[in-house]
Amino acid sequence: MYEIHESLTGYYAELEPGKRLEILEALPEVEGVDVSFLHELYHDRYSDHEGKGRKNVDWWLWRSICLQQLCSRGGFFKRFRKREVDAILGELRMDVHHELRTDDTHPELRTHNTTHTAYLYHEYRNVARRYLSTCRSGNYASRFMGFRQASDDEKALRACRDVWEMSRGIAKSEGVEERMRVWCEAFRDEVFEYDAVCREEYMRLDNQ
Amino acid sequence: MQDNKLISTFKQNAIWLVFFIEIAIFAYFNPKFLSIPNIVNISRQVSYYGIASIGMTFVILIAGIDLSIGSIIALVNVVCAYLMMNMGWNMWLAILVSILMAILIGVLNGWMVASIGIPAIIATFASQTIFRGCAYLLSGGLPIPGVVLENPTFGFFARWSLNRWELFKGMGQVGLIPICAIIMVLCFAIGSFILNKSYFGRYFYAIGGNEEASELSGIRVNKMKYLIYALSGFFAGLAGIVLLSRSGSAQSTAAIGFEFEVITCVVLGGVSVAGGIGHMSGVIAGVLIIGSLKSGMIMMNVSEYTQMVVQGLVLAVAVGIDCFSKKRQAS
Repeated sequence: MYEIHESLTGYYAELEPGKRLEILEALPEVEGVDVSFLHELYHDRYSDHEGKGRKNVDWWLWRSICLQQLCSRGGFFKRFRKREVDAILGELRMDVHHELRTDDTHPELRTHNTTHTAYLYHEYRNVARRYLSTCRSGNYASRFMGFRQASDDEKALRACRDVWEMSRGIAKSEGVEERMRVWCEAFRDEVFEYDAVCREEYMRLDNQ
Repeated sequence: MQDNKLISTFKQNAIWLVFFIEIAIFAYFNPKFLSIPNIVNISRQVSYYGIASIGMTFVILIAGIDLSIGSIIALVNVVCAYLMMNMGWNMWLAILVSILMAILIGVLNGWMVASIGIPAIIATFASQTIFRGCAYLLSGGLPIPGVVLENPTFGFFARWSLNRWELFKGMGQVGLIPICAIIMVLCFAIGSFILNKSYFGRYFYAIGGNEEASELSGIRVNKMKYLIYALSGFFAGLAGIVLLSRSGSAQSTAAIGFEFEVITCVVLGGVSVAGGIGHMSGVIAGVLIIGSLKSGMIMMNVSEYTQMVVQGLVLAVAVGIDCFSKKRQAS
């Protein structure tokens, strides 16, 4: 459904920002590949939006962690929470999918085509994969201040819950499923490939 | 979905239900439990627990622990009293220096945990021993008495802030509320703001939830650890000053075992020892439960040793529930 040109496979498979930039800059001029949009997405994702001049920032990964926190912690002031979720979705470009391009009620939205949506889908999957790549570490899901490490299955289940919360969980609780559709699909597809136990757990969480 | 929300809201606030049930039980057995002097007394007693528990909450949220806060309190007590009584320093300067020292101890803890990589429980246990020893060395193992009586400025502070209210009735309170309780409430408001409304709070939760992902997303995890342990030191130092102004005498033996009581308050309040989960409102409830429990047991003439047993059991049950719920979630 979200097909991309084969020359981009390596770019989306890479998780390290530096290497991704190298691949991006070395991309050949191919018809049907919008390199300028890819550059735009790259700089959007890896620049410090807080203006603290930090290097090695993965802003989209950070915002996905924020979404997970908003889902799991709830919030006393629902209005503030809604406003924050709205801002995050905007930063993650969830209001610019091609389905909305003819929507007169959103004239401020940028026009996107299916290719751009496919780029976004794969970028989202890359975010999810980068998050999941941290979920095998020794500290992850450990107990008693790191003294008792989690088993592989425990880590996978916790990772699945995290990914569900940062995608479907927050979308359902805020009623923004349609707006987050591509994001949720990307995260779901990635977590299904991550570990065998994740599919069942994801479905269980989704049907709760 | 609606049912799930209700269940989740109930779970989040169940600790307050426990608190009210506890109050009802003690009030049933001793009607004086709900008398205004006793409520004022409880609020005074819990104030320094409350203040110290804010720093501990931050530390536990990042899946750490700070066992040094009892020793920080003792050292702050002794140093502040020593500077004032033996060296004739101005009260405010002595307080400032003492709190700065507490922050530095926190930074040292942060350095051991973040930069050297010593497990938090070991690093802060070492600090606990070192700084308790320093307190003994500085005081010679003897109390420094008369902080209130011999120093007019500190006496004023004590009257202004805390419980010299038998001697200076009304001066340690605003209406019925003790000033130390107001300080605690202000600290909780600051702690709550940091956790819920600032980026630092987000960082704390993120580090506790998944440290590696936080690092990748651009958070300077080591710097944050320094900051969190420094904050823990700061709040412990402030609790030390409050305790000193209450007791009017600095003791190197002050606050022995205090860290475990604070950990009990925090964990009882729903902050997970695994990190990344917890609310400041739960911690407030935890502090009030422990304060009421102590006061209630004293009013029911329960011996001090039995009180220790009960507190230990409460800590075990609180951690047990946390671990059990994690295990159930994982299976």
